Amino acid sequence: MSRYLLLLLLNLPFIIAAIVGAVTQYKLKTISKRRLIVQVVIWAIILVGLVLAEPIYQFLFSNNLTETEPLSLFDVIQITAIVILFFTVMRTHSKVEVLEERLRRLHEKLSIELSSRSK
Amino acid sequence: MAIKKSKRIYRLVSTQELAKICVVIPAYNEGAVIHDVVASLLNQAKKSRLELDVVVVNDGSKDDTSNKAAEAGAIVINHILNSGAGGATSTGLAYAASNPYLFAVTMDADGQHLPEDVIKGIELMQSGNTDLLIGSRLIDAKGMSKTKQLGNKGLSMITYMLFGIKSTDSQSGLRLFSRKALDRLRWKTTGYEFCSEMLWRAHQLKLVVNEYPIQAVYTEYSKAKGQNNWNAINIIKSLLKRRLIEILG
Repeated sequence: MSRYLLLLLLNLPFIIAAIVGAVTQYKLKTISKRRLIVQVVIWAIILVGLVLAEPIYQFLFSNNLTETEPLSLFDVIQITAIVILFFTVMRTHSKVEVLEERLRRLHEKLSIELSSRSK
Repeated sequence: MAIKKSKRIYRLVSTQELAKICVVIPAYNEGAVIHDVVASLLNQAKKSRLELDVVVVNDGSKDDTSNKAAEAGAIVINHILNSGAGGATSTGLAYAASNPYLFAVTMDADGQHLPEDVIKGIELMQSGNTDLLIGSRLIDAKGMSKTKQLGNKGLSMITYMLFGIKSTDSQSGLRLFSRKALDRLRWKTTGYEFCSEMLWRAHQLKLVVNEYPIQAVYTEYSKAKGQNNWNAINIIKSLLKRRLIEILG
């Protein structure tokens, strides 16, 4: 199997999961349309980059714009790790935001409730 | 009769029931001045025949802010944790939103706002159709040091650059909220940057925002307690982060 195909196959599930997650969040009205567009565009760029990795490398190499070695197995693992990290960071960030907001509302309500009880 | 929407519960509220005004004062370690601030406001309201409740949100103070405010006649909400000016203001306005107030006012606890300016703002709110009225210290910046003017103007410019909101004093703590603004306006930042974020959220909600001139009184106490220009860097950092988060999700 080509290493470029392996790279795509390893990363595709994360890209699909991220795009589906963004669309679901938008449909559930957790994020705005603008945020959906930005997230989809970011993941689409990553997908296009992975799909066209080989032609891009060939183009750069044949025009003397790069002298790097062709994609190695280690590169595949490294790129996949970066994509997984990016996916995890985005999900974690979004969850932290929601939790922060909930905690703030809880603190707010609790403070009001306790103050009115102590009167 | 007016329909009041609050936390998904719709109920009919008579205009009589909505006659009171709520003044929210977020306070952190303001025991030295809070009694005078609350008492002078209540006296001025009495003179102007206005019925208002003063709500002091004690943001986890280590001094006797809570007792002093209660002694002066304020309703005191004690924060369990220190949450910052934005968090304390949010709690005070959440309290106002869950009660039948006609509108709400926020002001600083350090005594820099004159009760006369609060009453003037209330009168302007009663006569106009403004959703968010900001008391601007910079329309007539008498009494404010050049350094403070520079800091405040700089933050107003940053607010304009990041959010496209024009305001002469984006950091003013004296603000008046219509019932509509009370029910709908929410923000996410908890520090002083909430002032700019609030303007942005109001713009997103298409609320009517206006300004009126106020005078800021800077005593030695308020100068010592107030923000210095270095804090503006933290505010800018936080606003940039908020803007970026909003875009990137």
